[in-house]
Amino acid sequence: MLRRMTPYLFVLPLLGFIAVFTYIPIAQSMNLSLREWDFLSPTKPYVGFDNYRLLLDSREFWNALRVTAIFAIISVPLRLLLALFIANQLLRETLVSRLMRGALFFPSVTSTVAIGVVFSWVFSTDYGMMNALLSSFGLPKVAWLQEPHVALWVLIFVNTWKQLGYDIIIYIAGLQAIAPELYDAAAVDGGRKAHVFRRITVPLVMPTTYFLLMISVIEAFQVFTIVDVMTKGGPAGATDLLVNMLYRVGFNLFDIGVGSALAVLLFAFLITLAVVKSRVIGRKVHYEA
Amino acid sequence: MKPENPFVAVLALVAGLLFLSPVLYSIWMSFQTADAYYTGNIDFTFRNYEMAIGQYNFARYLVNSVIVSGLVTLIGLAVATCAAFAFARYTFAGSNLLFGAVVATLMIPSHITLIPNYLTLAKAGLLDTYAGLVLPAVSNGFAAFFLRQFIRGIPRALDEAAYMDGASPLKVLWRVIIPLSKPAILSMGLYIFISEWNNYIWPLVAIGREDLYTLQIGLARLYRVNPGEDIIDWPLVMAASTITILPVLVGFILVERHLIRGMMMGAVK
Repeated sequence: MLRRMTPYLFVLPLLGFIAVFTYIPIAQSMNLSLREWDFLSPTKPYVGFDNYRLLLDSREFWNALRVTAIFAIISVPLRLLLALFIANQLLRETLVSRLMRGALFFPSVTSTVAIGVVFSWVFSTDYGMMNALLSSFGLPKVAWLQEPHVALWVLIFVNTWKQLGYDIIIYIAGLQAIAPELYDAAAVDGGRKAHVFRRITVPLVMPTTYFLLMISVIEAFQVFTIVDVMTKGGPAGATDLLVNMLYRVGFNLFDIGVGSALAVLLFAFLITLAVVKSRVIGRKVHYEA
Repeated sequence: MKPENPFVAVLALVAGLLFLSPVLYSIWMSFQTADAYYTGNIDFTFRNYEMAIGQYNFARYLVNSVIVSGLVTLIGLAVATCAAFAFARYTFAGSNLLFGAVVATLMIPSHITLIPNYLTLAKAGLLDTYAGLVLPAVSNGFAAFFLRQFIRGIPRALDEAAYMDGASPLKVLWRVIIPLSKPAILSMGLYIFISEWNNYIWPLVAIGREDLYTLQIGLARLYRVNPGEDIIDWPLVMAASTITILPVLVGFILVERHLIRGMMMGAVK
């Protein structure tokens, strides 16, 4: 009897934590999204889909969706292109290439808050590095984080700077898996560098590209810290990404119903993407072997 | 290692320094007096660190971060290793389903649990406690998945030899599996510790008491103390930021290769 119980005892702690802090909360969010509540009042009246309707009728939601979509559409391809190009230069196991990998990778494991603070200084109007640089070329100062048309681009820049190293490391792993004979064959055929890159490297590293594409889209839809530190969603909602809106609605406005509805919508979208990801990767991953 | 083309090497190093220049300059700035910084002079000082650690309580935040990240790592590894052992070595009713439930957490975005977990901990009276910071972060589906894959690569004959000697499953785990899984456990430990060290949104939600702030919360608050950027004491803020970055930076330099290998293996999932 005890023997049969053994594996259950081993998995119990993990499954207990997962149940209490992951799976039950998902059900709770769905339930709360159908109620009206402010954290305090003793009752949570059922209101059907009112919270969803409220959300879909609000300008705030569509703005956040638009801003998040722009963030994803710009930052994801930018990251992947840069990362593939740089990874392709850092394949050799030399001291310099290892140092470069380290330098590029470091931001992705370091504190996002600290990075946000440091770049708030870099892009601050009066004493920042960027404006000092512009001034030294005789150019006028830019109010990087106060200008609605500029602030989102600054966030995209900072996020790219931070995450690029991770993408590079993953690409290096993918590129190193390509059989060297293929490159040798191309060299024998007299293929030019750009040609080899386009015809051999890019198609053969496709599984890695799919993987990075999916996780970086999912990540882009969950960006919060850098927004909270650098702009708080401003100026005038120009950087109000979805999770920033979720935090505001839930924990500043205490509108648990609408906050939960937003969480559920975002969840449904990201789960769909994740399922697509596992399907696509499942299909493409055998490419290299 | 092959010798470098010195021109390429210098170019690469310059590019690397340029890439990291905001962080490097922020560290430099943290050793400057505010007056010197704002007037463009150079005046070396430790006062920013004294202020951050003393007056602004960053010593306390550092201790909190170490305690919370340490506990999450230790408990997280223990829980994940036990589960990984069972999923790697036993077939039991529902094992596939349960393993699927663990792996599925990798796809579940954490914000969906934000409001409910806040409510759960409020009900349990655990907001504003270390437990409130640690418990929701303990379960790590990725670590369990990763360790299970690793344990499956360990020959079963080793377990069986130990069972023949009358060892219990717990003893096999402790004496055979864990010693042989050290590199994987170390990689996962680093990964969990760093993720938790940098965690922001959960402590932001779960902690209101100043003496329980982690470094991330303390830094974000210090930076926001003075609205209007002209009166931000940048050298002081950069000292606090350096305190927040430094432990990870030092750890990173020591174990960079483990970390990168862990990331690469993780990508192959």
